[in-house]
Amino acid sequence: MFIFIINIVSLQNKQKEKEMKKSKSFFIVLMVLVLMITMPCFAGGEKEDSDSKTVVYWSMWNEAEPQGLVLVQAAEAYEEETGVAVEIVFNGREIRKTLQPALDAGEVVDIFDEDVTRVNGIWADYLLPLDELASQVYPSTDGKSFENSVSSALLDLARQEGKGVLKVIPYQPYAFIVMYNKDLFNEAGISGTPKTWEEFEVVCEKLKAAGITPLTTDDAYMAVFFGYNIARLAGEERCLEMAMNQDFNDPSVLKFGEIYEDFAKKGYISKNAASNIYPAGQIEEIAKGTTAMYLNGTWLPNEIKGSAPDFNWGCFAWPEMDPNSPSGVETNNYGAQSFGINKNSTVAKEAFEFVVYMTTGKWDGILAQESLGVPMGLNSVWPKQTQEAKVVIDNTTNWMTWGGGMEADANITSKIKENFKKLITGALDAESFYAAMNK
Amino acid sequence: MKKNRSMIIIFLVPAVFCYLSVFFYPSVRTTFMSFYAIEGVADSFSTWDFNGIANYLKLFKTPIFKQAMSNIFLLWFVGGLGVMAVALIFAITLTSGLNGAKFFRSVIYLPNVVSAVAMGTMWINYVFNTNYGILHRIFTALRIESLASVLWTGPGTLFWSMLVAYCFGMVGYHMLIFMASIEQVPRSYHEAAKIEGANIFQRFIHVTLPFLRGCFRTNIVMWTVFTVNFFVWGQLFSPVNLSNDTVAPMNYMYEIVFGASSNSMVARDSGAGASIGVIMMIIVIIAFGLTNFIVKNDDVQL
Repeated sequence: MFIFIINIVSLQNKQKEKEMKKSKSFFIVLMVLVLMITMPCFAGGEKEDSDSKTVVYWSMWNEAEPQGLVLVQAAEAYEEETGVAVEIVFNGREIRKTLQPALDAGEVVDIFDEDVTRVNGIWADYLLPLDELASQVYPSTDGKSFENSVSSALLDLARQEGKGVLKVIPYQPYAFIVMYNKDLFNEAGISGTPKTWEEFEVVCEKLKAAGITPLTTDDAYMAVFFGYNIARLAGEERCLEMAMNQDFNDPSVLKFGEIYEDFAKKGYISKNAASNIYPAGQIEEIAKGTTAMYLNGTWLPNEIKGSAPDFNWGCFAWPEMDPNSPSGVETNNYGAQSFGINKNSTVAKEAFEFVVYMTTGKWDGILAQESLGVPMGLNSVWPKQTQEAKVVIDNTTNWMTWGGGMEADANITSKIKENFKKLITGALDAESFYAAMNK
Repeated sequence: MKKNRSMIIIFLVPAVFCYLSVFFYPSVRTTFMSFYAIEGVADSFSTWDFNGIANYLKLFKTPIFKQAMSNIFLLWFVGGLGVMAVALIFAITLTSGLNGAKFFRSVIYLPNVVSAVAMGTMWINYVFNTNYGILHRIFTALRIESLASVLWTGPGTLFWSMLVAYCFGMVGYHMLIFMASIEQVPRSYHEAAKIEGANIFQRFIHVTLPFLRGCFRTNIVMWTVFTVNFFVWGQLFSPVNLSNDTVAPMNYMYEIVFGASSNSMVARDSGAGASIGVIMMIIVIIAFGLTNFIVKNDDVQL
């Protein structure tokens, strides 16, 4: 193309007509601009085979993650069984930034997934309501409707997040509870798990006596840790209110300062918690077996299985901290990732069938086993690492939002992190912590 | 040589087009967006709500944004002084006819070539780690208990650790600019000064330094641009959510434009994000204007 232009130009130059120069320049500029703008249109696109259907799924997982590996296998098996191809685009967590522009540009995306709150919140405009599809029966649901074959607590959560309408199908659920090292508990001579704060302090004392650090956290989870404690001390509703109003004028905040000033002095909370840059706490302290307990999600075994393949996991709910408080061990945060279906999808039914395929029956179990996670199907087998979480989840009658709401705003999150770290190092005592939080 | 106007136009048009579409248009659009309340960055114009300078006012009342501005000011001032001083010392040393100058130049520039993510990870895990980092090991070996137990990434020290790690990597770039300028000083001036009896310090202050005026201006402007764009290191030293110690305006902008990583915070504010972008642009323009005004570019006639 350029050679063609150069030839034209040199021919015209030989004529040496001055009055032609202005319009010639204009003509050249126009041609180059037109070429540049239309160039992308010449880029090849893929021709779709009009006979077989393809479901395009933008995934939040990375291909190398256990979930990604299982999805690839499941997609192949699904295509063999049904003839519907599933094209998976592995975005990783960057999907949080990349999906919106793709949807806005009209790119073909039939299924997408992310945290249940996020999908309902950010991509609400693109979600297809799923109540109707969920009430039908599918091959892997044993004669029952889909909605009766999976965890009802999670479907209720999805409906709550979707403002009363089921717009997403949850999967890979998690609960935010204490994940602990059973071997270290045995070493310290602890049997059973603490339900009240007194019992918890006794557990910490025994661990410390055995030379084990009882508790730790990472900078990434400090706001959630604070929120959980405040929710236990003041009640979950009051905690949410404090977070929304950014108002920490409450005795529970002082109590938090007193408890952790004490813990820091006794060494019940690791000094490294003040300097841990995620994921140092979970990898260097928990996985290495120097620290026993971590308030985290049930995804933790999966995240550190590379560093600690034979870890003996146990779980229990964060203990009750005040018998007079409205919230105790029955109040926990749980959530899930969730599949959403694009309301503009031309293969919505097939897309939903794939979602059912992944959340019930054989593949739901495989996904849970490979990712050391929690299954959705009521008949699926729980992996050994998270089995104790089942008891906690079954006994959770009150759902609490992520971190009690304390991670909802960057201003609060950073304030909590800074002051909690100083409380751990001893730079702040309970009174000054309270003052700093109320500044 | 005959100037071929058509060829000039053909070669210029793509570059000008790219400049207008990739730099100029987004700058204009972002400035425009900063006066509206917008949720998603790709939302259509019909969803924009005009709110004047409300975005700017809100930003200057937001604690974490104020903290971010304070952080980059410290970074610019303290970091800048440190980097320029060290870069200048290295530049003078390497242009004084040292053996192996080329080798040292490559070694000092190497951190600039390595990806910031790799550098940051190395600093966090191998230098600053409280249990097995190199600082801990050195101080333990020297039996200085108080320094061995310092939490390098703890509250109060996290910012300075990040500053040191960042500046370490930036020295090479500025050193090269200084070196290029020093090497341009005509030898005749140095020889004349030597004959007159000037020692090395006097020669530096009276001969070299005046020639470095333009170079200082370039370095200050570039350093301002880098500081304003400070993002990756803030993300590395405080992954997942923001910290008062490591937040820079770009980190906060990333958070509010795309939504936080937190599961419970899904609100986005692209209008405020655009305002942050405009504020950063104004800072660079001011810095450029000031340095142009203070350091006049009086090219010596040779």
